[in-house]
Amino acid sequence: MSQGTTGVGHRASALRRTFRLITAVLTGVLLLALTGVTLVDVVGRYFFSRPLSGASEMTELLVMAVVFTGLPAICLDDGHITVDLFTAKLKGTAETVQVMLARLVVVVMLGLISWQLWEHGARIGAWGETTVYLRFPLAPVARAASVLCALSAAIVLMLAVLRLPKGKSGDI
Amino acid sequence: MDWPIGLVVLLALIFAGVPIAFALSAVGLVGVISIIGLDPALAMFGQIYFDSGRSYTLSVVPLFLLMGNFIVQSGIASELYDAANAWLRHRKGGLAMATIVACAGFASVCGSSLATTATMGRISLPAMRRYGYSDRLAAASVAAGGTLGILIPPSVILVIYGILTQQDIGKLFLAGLLPGLIGVIFYIVAVRLSLWLHPEDLGRPEKLPLRDRLRATRGVSGALVLFVFVLGGIYIGFFTATEAAGMGAGGAILITALRGKLGLRNTLETLFDTAKTTAVMFFILFGALYFLNYVNLSGLTTDLRSWIDAIDAGPTGVILMLIVLFLILGCLLESLSMILLTVPVLFPIVSGLGFDPIWFGIFVVVATELSYITPPIGMNVFVMRIVAPEIPLERVFAGVLPFVFVDILRLLLLIAVPWLVLVIPNSM
Amino acid sequence: SAQTVLRVSNWLPPSHPIVKDIVLPWAAAVEEATDGRVTVQMLDAPLGPPPAHFDLAATGAADVTFGVNGYTPGRFSLNQIAELPFLTPSSEALSVAYWRVYEKMLAEKDEYKGVKVLAVWGHGPGMLFTTGAEVSPLSKLDGLKVRVAGKLTSMLAEQMKMVSVQAPSPKTYEVLSGGVADAIYFPYESVPFFKLDSLLTKALRAEGGLYNVSFFMVMNQAKFDGLSDEDKAAIDGVSGEALVRIAGKAWDAADATGHDILESTVAFHDASEAEMEELVAMSQPLYDAVAADYAAKGVDFDAALEMLKAETAKVLQE
Ligand code: NA
Ligand code: NA
Repeated sequence: MSQGTTGVGHRASALRRTFRLITAVLTGVLLLALTGVTLVDVVGRYFFSRPLSGASEMTELLVMAVVFTGLPAICLDDGHITVDLFTAKLKGTAETVQVMLARLVVVVMLGLISWQLWEHGARIGAWGETTVYLRFPLAPVARAASVLCALSAAIVLMLAVLRLPKGKSGDI
Repeated sequence: MDWPIGLVVLLALIFAGVPIAFALSAVGLVGVISIIGLDPALAMFGQIYFDSGRSYTLSVVPLFLLMGNFIVQSGIASELYDAANAWLRHRKGGLAMATIVACAGFASVCGSSLATTATMGRISLPAMRRYGYSDRLAAASVAAGGTLGILIPPSVILVIYGILTQQDIGKLFLAGLLPGLIGVIFYIVAVRLSLWLHPEDLGRPEKLPLRDRLRATRGVSGALVLFVFVLGGIYIGFFTATEAAGMGAGGAILITALRGKLGLRNTLETLFDTAKTTAVMFFILFGALYFLNYVNLSGLTTDLRSWIDAIDAGPTGVILMLIVLFLILGCLLESLSMILLTVPVLFPIVSGLGFDPIWFGIFVVVATELSYITPPIGMNVFVMRIVAPEIPLERVFAGVLPFVFVDILRLLLLIAVPWLVLVIPNSM
Repeated sequence: SAQTVLRVSNWLPPSHPIVKDIVLPWAAAVEEATDGRVTVQMLDAPLGPPPAHFDLAATGAADVTFGVNGYTPGRFSLNQIAELPFLTPSSEALSVAYWRVYEKMLAEKDEYKGVKVLAVWGHGPGMLFTTGAEVSPLSKLDGLKVRVAGKLTSMLAEQMKMVSVQAPSPKTYEVLSGGVADAIYFPYESVPFFKLDSLLTKALRAEGGLYNVSFFMVMNQAKFDGLSDEDKAAIDGVSGEALVRIAGKAWDAADATGHDILESTVAFHDASEAEMEELVAMSQPLYDAVAADYAAKGVDFDAALEMLKAETAKVLQE
């Protein structure tokens, strides 16, 4: 079963490409902002005696944003690292079952992570946790991470149910 | 769930092809539930994935990665390797050796082994392959060379060790210099060892005339400028080692733009690549941290301590046992988890036996370097997997074996001649 | 009855005074007071980063934790009264007074929901250390880059016309040795603890300290509720003001040790009367900010401050 030979496979390829493009643009903006934060902070500190207030917090939040925004596209490409020493030799039904089981573990774990990030958001939202200097509210950050994990879980579930072939991380 | 069962289940899931990130969190979850109950175990997910996602210390990873990727996009990286190749092509394994030295150079600006490996992997892997080096040797050289990131100062891990054990961080940094240099020499030996084991890993081109060598060398200026900027910035205190990552990334983007290589499509690819690598690595780290909590709650270190006490092997015996212990733990834990879990437990035992605390810090860090390249949880090898997804993981793990071997020799050497660690800090 | 084990998640090195002189003695006291029915187990590694430690106890991942209120901004604001400038003659006096204010006026606002509060305390008087820059007159501080300890020190830095640098405490060595910061707000104890004694050479001291940091030690509520009445009473007996006093004394002792180490290498300058006046004026916005936070939670700030000062004086006279 190779990608693109069936109608479903064809649509999967197109979907994967679209997802990669959207993720590339979103994470690209975040990464450039991440670089910009350090530049503005250091240059401001030395040349204007005005460091960027809360630069370390922005850095933390931007890194987190990159990590979770990148997740759905990675899941769609089965891009998490696996050891395929034994599984590479599987063929036919055995391979289908192995891919299905591995994906189901990912679905369950991502589902739990999503649920608990949401709960965590509710907990810290109840008393309004913010960052130290910028007072940026953190509950929405946890909820956004939760939604992205849920989306990723749904994607992997779809891959498992439709028995789509394993993705190859390809060009944008 | 007792920890030996947990370890077996983890290995089973990993070898069944479950992504490592989720195999770690799944086993961790079941284990933690069995110890503290369902609700707290679940709540720990929210805590770990949220808190560790916002780690300032880890922010160097995407930024150094970005720098490395733009160095590649700008063309500096391939010019650098063209130069290295021009001078070293006729020497057996010359480029792999040059890569080790370059890793050590990068380690002197970067406190993290992951960031060192990710950056150097992106720069040197394609180049080495272009010049006919096998995947196995090329990937293994970078994965091993990258471990030097935490030994050659600055080092995040040495700072954490210094604070955990109340040792002078400046002395620890100085103590890492000579063992770092020995590491470079031993890894160069390991390159030869690899080629002796697998002579097919490399073609042997002709020596180039001097004129061609000089012409190829002109390309290194861009890399040199960036390196001096980042290193100089740290050492004159213009920015911290953490900020250096952001400054270096900014500098690399600037150089790429100045060379007219900042095309939209390539830039988007570079950015996407950085984001993907970051996300994949962080999810493994989250899983590893959850798994650490299981190991911690399960009392593994308490068991280890009582075994060490029970065997009563004398100072050298205990240190040799610790090598075995670090090797085993290093297979399963990532580096920070190793330090956090072992140092508070082992430090009192080891200093009670009369070992120098600075020496033990370097011993622990060299032992921890091993954890980056030993299977099945070897973060540097995973990084190579992301840099070059088409190389099977087991091929890289096979490739690093000679490097693991010389690392163990290095540990034994440091035990036999503690002077190598202590001479520089004690003379300051 | 069955044996109960209380798991403590500890994010500090074993040699830190909080671990060695506060938590471990408390653990021994609990075991003794309950005749061994309740024992305390220190985990080998923390279950999360330092800011997670309130939640770890609240959710039951750990049974007992300690932490810094300022690490989770937004959750606590009433603790800030113990962090204001000029209120700390010693950690013991301030901490006991703060505990009494907490019990009488702050506990009812339920900032520590989901846990049983075992103790709250503050460290010794905080001061300003520099890597060589003069600290007097105060105008010399102009433009200095200073590592701050949280919201209030950040405000104070601004008032003192300094540029604030943010870094977690394990990063302070890197930040100061590299020259990214030229100054830091710290109590005596923390300078040698974070290995900064070779880097810092001058310091500004003000009567009662320039700032403080408040700490808490808490226990999972359900875990406490599950104990027998006898064991609850036993734990209560060795916690609360008794534990706060131990904590304050431990910090004062650690500060004394820190002071001995620094005496020969750091040139301390005690703020003159005129400089004190300047500093008091500079601190007014901090007092106003905390008063506003108190008003938002419906607590009378002036009454609380008066009580804190009165109780501090009482403890000092003991
Ligand atoms: Na380094
Ligand atoms: Na390993």
